[in-house]
Amino acid sequence: MAKAKPVMGIDAQATTGENARIIARARLEEVELWGRYAHDPQRSDELHDLRIAAKRLRYTLEIFADALPQEITTVIAEVTQIQEELGALHDSDVMMALLRLCIQQEHENASGEDEQQQIQESYAQAIAAQEEVGKHIITNLELVASLLAARTAPSQAQRASLQHLLQDTIQQRGAHYNAFRIHWDRLQTQNFQHSIQSILDAK
Amino acid sequence: MHIQFSSPCAAIDIGSNTVHIVVARCAPTTLDILADEVELVRIGESVTATGAISQEKLAVTLATLRNYKALAEKHSASPIFVVATEAIRQASNSRDFIETIHRETGLAVQLIEGTVEATLTFLGATYEQAQEKHAPSQLGVMDIGGGSTELVTARQEQITWRTSVPIGSGWLHDRYLSSDPPTHDEVSMASVFLTTYFTGMPIRRVPPSLIVTGGSANSLFALAKHAFHLDEAPMRLTREEILRCEGLLQALPATEIAERYKQPVARARLLPAGALIIRAVMNRLRLDEITISAHGIREGVLLAYARYGEQWLQRIEQPATSNENHSSGTQQKKEDEQETFLLHGQQLLQDRTAKLLEWREAVLASEDIEAVHKMRVASRRLRATLDAYEAICDPRSFKKIYKKTKEIADLLGSARDTDVMIQNLQAQTVKAPAEEQVGTQWLIERLQAYRLQHQQVLEAFFKTFDGHAFKRQIEACLSTEGVRHGKS
Repeated sequence: MAKAKPVMGIDAQATTGENARIIARARLEEVELWGRYAHDPQRSDELHDLRIAAKRLRYTLEIFADALPQEITTVIAEVTQIQEELGALHDSDVMMALLRLCIQQEHENASGEDEQQQIQESYAQAIAAQEEVGKHIITNLELVASLLAARTAPSQAQRASLQHLLQDTIQQRGAHYNAFRIHWDRLQTQNFQHSIQSILDAK
Repeated sequence: MHIQFSSPCAAIDIGSNTVHIVVARCAPTTLDILADEVELVRIGESVTATGAISQEKLAVTLATLRNYKALAEKHSASPIFVVATEAIRQASNSRDFIETIHRETGLAVQLIEGTVEATLTFLGATYEQAQEKHAPSQLGVMDIGGGSTELVTARQEQITWRTSVPIGSGWLHDRYLSSDPPTHDEVSMASVFLTTYFTGMPIRRVPPSLIVTGGSANSLFALAKHAFHLDEAPMRLTREEILRCEGLLQALPATEIAERYKQPVARARLLPAGALIIRAVMNRLRLDEITISAHGIREGVLLAYARYGEQWLQRIEQPATSNENHSSGTQQKKEDEQETFLLHGQQLLQDRTAKLLEWREAVLASEDIEAVHKMRVASRRLRATLDAYEAICDPRSFKKIYKKTKEIADLLGSARDTDVMIQNLQAQTVKAPAEEQVGTQWLIERLQAYRLQHQQVLEAFFKTFDGHAFKRQIEACLSTEGVRHGKS
């Protein structure tokens, strides 16, 4: 997700309480925007964006907690939990992508190549993988390049074992998504976003 | 010294986990307790599940209150105060609940705010210690309830700060720790949540000692006393003893904990959550030991009544001292709300930058992977603060410092994400089937190799990183002269 947009309508000489409410509303809108994808477990990009939006909302509320009504502490707890649930989901997505790359990796007899050439090749593979999987999943090219270095590629037995680990991780991802979904649906039933608006509207 | 006690009074508190009564003869600074009973009703369970208090919970509460009223009358206690806390504050049908209690039992329930709850708890939890000759001049009090946790700091017996957070043992159990005993993954998720939440909570003055009250704290002490043969007094628990308790609670089902250590089963189910909250707050306050108090909000109500008479609640709702910093509805909060955005921003950026820089040496020392995590969190908070103030920052200075902050966050992020992957895989290896072991081990080794390589990059960066220049650039970003109005 791109950098947070600057919030319009801020007045440096107005009170912190007034401006905090404007910023919090802007961050809440971002959560609502990405929240539209909460019901689709396959939209990992958008679920990641929802996580970032939740994190920005949480940080904003924490930064300005003293200038907002006390009820905001309940909101912070809920948003923190949503962020953690989506964080666990994202960690599974990253692990799944890494495992798939490692499993595809053939062990090569790379003795003919010099080290520099091998590094360049593994970087090229990492960049190609990032383009395929997405920048939000593969954020660390150095790590992926290090994993894909031909001279340390997994043996056939190790690849078979990684395949089992991948299946486990896929299952864990399902469980993480379910935990998030149950929580998200409960908040929707309780009209959570509207409650936050009401807290922010209160003087 | 002769103490003049009043005739008996009673105080009942309807909490998220328990309904609890104390009957006592009261004086402004002490109590002569005649009866003390508690019933684990778990009203919060139905509020967490449906948002409302169920008919079943209402029926149990009514039955309990009728018994308590009879107990109070047996001691000729009058008046009988009833206060209700977090679960009732959160419940969508709280008004019906309170009206039904009044109609059915004649008892008037006061629904009190979290900060009032914090003050009453402080009075109750500290009154015994305040009588001692060498009472500490600065301390904190924490009350872990079922649906909320109250935190108070005080200096010379005067409250300096108080807050109420909506996380209690019942809440944490229902959200995260539903297995019996809780699984490793559940405990891990709950711990991450608590660390994240409490790290983000601003505490104005970190107290050097902490008194903990509430059912979880007292039951945990009772468990530790039985299991590790601790003395009855003083009621203290060290970090190590709490960790040992956690080990038991995560290994044995609640029925076995209840049987072995003389605990009600329903309480034993909540204890893993209570222990985790206590340890998370100890970590936040950097404490290695806590003192347990058997007293709390009910004793606080009775002491407040003895001190202030019929106006006790109004007096508690007011700021207790001119220098008190409440986190809600009080003087400091009003000041924070009224302070200009610019001044507040300058202070915030200064604080956040200092927080970030304080972890630099620990990251360079590379002895504790948590240092990387803490510095990363500090960098994220600094970025979030910059995001909030971007509209009124000098654009050129902002761009420069934002880029630098992002660079720091990314460097630390690469290290932290790898640490977490390694930790998770190591935890998984313990219970992984044989066919997964060889691949997992290969991956752990590769990740460790990358992490070592990345540590060199981190160290090279922070060795040449000029913290003073960074601070100056942050200050220039939101200087009074360079500030933009922001409205565009």
